[in-house]
Amino acid sequence: MTQVLFYLILGVALWVLGLHGLIRLHQPIRRIISVNIMGSGVFMVMVALARRSEDPDPVMHALVVTGLVVAISATAFALRLAVTGQRSEEDRE
Amino acid sequence: MTAALAALLIPLFTALGLLLLRSRSGPLVILTSLATLAAACWALVEVTTSGPQSLHLGDWPEPLAIRFQLQPITALLLVFTALIHLLVAVYAARSRHCRTRDTDYWPLSCLLQGSLNALWLSSDLFNWYVTLELLGLAAVALVALSGRKAYGPALNYLLLSLGASLVYLLGVALIYGRYGVLDITLLATQTEADQSTRVAFWLMTLGLMLKAALWPLHLWLPKAHASAPTAVSALLSALVVKGPLFILWRLWSEAAPVELAIETGPLLAIAGVAALLLGGWSALRTPWLKSLVAYSTVAQLGYALMALGLLMHWQLPALDAALWLFVLAHGLAKASMFLAAGELQATLGSKRVSALRGTTETMPVAMFAFAVAGGSLIGLPPSGGFLAKWMLLEPMLGQSEHWPWVAGILLGTLISAGYVFRVVALAFDRADPVPPDFKPDRFAHWLAMLPALVVWGLALVSQPLIAWLTGATP
Amino acid sequence: MIWTSLLPLLVVLSSLVPGLLIFTLREDQVRLRTTLNLVGAVVKILLVGLMLWGVANGLEFRFAVPFIPNGDLVLKGDALSLQFVTLSAVLWLTTTIYAIGYLEGAPLRSRFFGYFSLCVSATVGLALAGNLVTFVLFYELLTLATFPLVVHRGTAAALRAGRIYLAYTLGGGTLALLGAVLLHTQVGSPAFIPGGYLQATLGDDRVTLTLAFVLLIAGFGVKAALFPLHGWLPTAMVAPAPVSALLHAVAVVKAGAFGLVRVIYDVFGVNLMTELDLATPLLWLAAFTILYGSVRALFQTDLKRRLAFSTVSQVSYITLGIALLGPIAAVGGLVHLVHQGMMKVTLFYCAGNFAETLHIHKIRDLDGVGRRMPLTMAAFTVGALGMIGVPPVAGFISKWYLGLGALEVGADWVLLVLAGSGLLNALYFLPLLYRGWFGPAPTHWPHDEKLGTGRPGLGETHWMLLWPALTTAFLALLIGILAGTGLSPLNWAQLTVNMEFDL
Repeated sequence: MTQVLFYLILGVALWVLGLHGLIRLHQPIRRIISVNIMGSGVFMVMVALARRSEDPDPVMHALVVTGLVVAISATAFALRLAVTGQRSEEDRE
Repeated sequence: MTAALAALLIPLFTALGLLLLRSRSGPLVILTSLATLAAACWALVEVTTSGPQSLHLGDWPEPLAIRFQLQPITALLLVFTALIHLLVAVYAARSRHCRTRDTDYWPLSCLLQGSLNALWLSSDLFNWYVTLELLGLAAVALVALSGRKAYGPALNYLLLSLGASLVYLLGVALIYGRYGVLDITLLATQTEADQSTRVAFWLMTLGLMLKAALWPLHLWLPKAHASAPTAVSALLSALVVKGPLFILWRLWSEAAPVELAIETGPLLAIAGVAALLLGGWSALRTPWLKSLVAYSTVAQLGYALMALGLLMHWQLPALDAALWLFVLAHGLAKASMFLAAGELQATLGSKRVSALRGTTETMPVAMFAFAVAGGSLIGLPPSGGFLAKWMLLEPMLGQSEHWPWVAGILLGTLISAGYVFRVVALAFDRADPVPPDFKPDRFAHWLAMLPALVVWGLALVSQPLIAWLTGATP
Repeated sequence: MIWTSLLPLLVVLSSLVPGLLIFTLREDQVRLRTTLNLVGAVVKILLVGLMLWGVANGLEFRFAVPFIPNGDLVLKGDALSLQFVTLSAVLWLTTTIYAIGYLEGAPLRSRFFGYFSLCVSATVGLALAGNLVTFVLFYELLTLATFPLVVHRGTAAALRAGRIYLAYTLGGGTLALLGAVLLHTQVGSPAFIPGGYLQATLGDDRVTLTLAFVLLIAGFGVKAALFPLHGWLPTAMVAPAPVSALLHAVAVVKAGAFGLVRVIYDVFGVNLMTELDLATPLLWLAAFTILYGSVRALFQTDLKRRLAFSTVSQVSYITLGIALLGPIAAVGGLVHLVHQGMMKVTLFYCAGNFAETLHIHKIRDLDGVGRRMPLTMAAFTVGALGMIGVPPVAGFISKWYLGLGALEVGADWVLLVLAGSGLLNALYFLPLLYRGWFGPAPTHWPHDEKLGTGRPGLGETHWMLLWPALTTAFLALLIGILAGTGLSPLNWAQLTVNMEFDL
């Protein structure tokens, strides 16, 4: 149980760290990384919660996998926007 | 249920088809949009005659299944979405000034409609997360169609939207960890007002508020909506922000423990009043036309938030009707307003409010559409906005201890009148009118007028509509 | 549906439909536009005439459609509403003719006449409104329809006036709406009935009733230009003369005053008003507004502004009459609704004629205008004497009844107010008459537009400007002289009051 708690706290800490970064940082790439840290935090919480009973809960795992897919595609899209936006700014200069 | 499923699948397959065929055909989308509308209407008829229905995807048993649920209000939202989508599609295909004609607008808008319809139909917490993400990605891509200048606001929108989803998701994870279910109907029977439930609901609420641009988490909206192409702004303001609002409503009116709802309600209602005032104030101050319209969205969502908050606090199902009337009236009026604003600024070649001097002479129809839509936002009788306001005012004035909330409505009305007539009064200026760059496009102007007339026309069906909404919501 | 239930709707549509059609016309389709305007106005008069005949013969005209829960949209022709409807219909016809002449050759006439017709529709709808919800609805619509007319000229001054107008009237409209919803939550929105519908249902909830009353009075008081809510009226005088004449003499201010009448008589009812003692503050406010408007009028140098402040003062006679809560004073107040409309519209027509024909805007330029435009000046004289209260012009009748009514309920101090205001009226109107008739005329008029033949007499100005003024002046005399007969507004007012006070 303590192990579950440890991962839970760690996940929440990552989530808070990511949220803080998303709010406070300005460079697009850093903000994208922040969102990913947030995501990892949530997924860690979910994986930890899956072990709250003796048998690991497969539903939670399925949810995490789905979440990962969403996160990856969103990150790709965000990177594309960030890079093109950066380039157009350089062009203007 | 078949009809509802068709309303979900037609736009989805249209989007995929367009991508696979490398086609960007507007007329095709209009045709499929018509089909979606027909399917949605059919679903509405079905649900009115034979009651709510649900469908377990893949025939999985109860706790594991993903359940689609067709309620009366869902069916109404399906029809509403299809109507707005069709209207905007006709505009996008036909207007001379619309810069989205041969672009990715077509598949993306279909994807947007598909994900929104999936959102209306879903009824479990995680499925909503997925549909929210789909909706967000499609919306951001649509904003980015404006070109590189819009990439900044689009990226900001995307990141905040992702962040908001993760806030929501953490709440969902806590709920699942506590109760082991995701389906909202199952959840409703189990929730208790303990500490972890409270935290989970607040997290979900915060995430959804950020997604719906509800005050004080609205800062991303004006830039994103104002920098998008006209057709997209109309879709975003009229439809997309209503998605998270719908989830919020289902969460709090069905799943949340009553004590928790009573306790959280006032906070939301106060945020609603603040949105009305501060959003309205920003709309009064901004020099840009589309920003003004976008800020007015922030302000008007305040009404909906107020209705939701008070609904939770007083546990009054009568306010459901007010909430959904606001959503319908605002969606129609805002679509009209954004189309009119887009036409006006494209024809005049300036994005400033001050460029509208004398437009009642040069572009009477577009300006009239703007004013008529504005009338509904102010809540002038007998428009749809008025009906909603009336439904909200009635329980407020009914008991003397609720009277203080009336001040919010009063100030909100005056401030919306302020920003609407700020534009309308300028349009009557004949001293030095701004000459238009192009010949006005009459058809597009009438298209902008259409939803504004519909929102005033709600007066003709007001009584059955209100009765239906009061009876339709659980 | 039988015709008696459709007639109220037709009365509203007879100006709404032409108005909407006019919006679609091109600027150069003058003949079609004029035809539409006049056909609409004449049809409306005929329909109203039919309704008058019907009501006199005991028929009931009621049109209702569902609108909100417990609040239908109801249009109903009763004695009180017909008084206002008839006034609006008659003055719409004369003002339409006047406006056609006034705007000849001006730009944006389709827009002007379109909104003009919408205004009349809203006014008539408001007059026929059968319950509070319907009344508030048309009250707001009237604001919307008048705004484009106030800013019609599109100058900086006009826009400023328009913004001020909106700030006042939309604010007032919102307050009235709140009042209406508050009452609606208690008893729904039943039809207006003589004697009020609140008494029977809740005579005891004083706080709610008082709050609703204050909200409604504040809301309707804006358009009725009750002090301190009158600020929009003088600034709105930048509008074209027909707008000032019809809207600010009749439609808008009367809509407010009519709202007060409805609230006091048909919603609260005299008994409840007395019980809650709500009328006294209103009475004081009306009395103060009467004197205040007159004093302010005295110091105006611009002709239209002087007339505007005179309106502020005169409309409060109506409020005064109904706030006295006695049957005789009520007759005075109600009949003044018609009388003041006739006289004030004449004055505004004449002011417009002076401005259009000779570019006279300031009072000091009126010297000798009676020799150049004797007929207009004669009409002006009739209107002005009526305002002062000189018999046999209609204004005398109203003041006579107001005075008697005040004595009847023991409010003797009101006589002082009436006398003081009469004196002030004389002080600000008689100098105008003196200048016009006896002042030294210039050898030639510097800005003579040469409308008509340009010579004194029937050709002194455009015939479409002259005849409406002569007609309404004649009517103002006629309804004063024939006050004792069965057809006069006085008789209608008495009929109404008999019902209200259950005499």
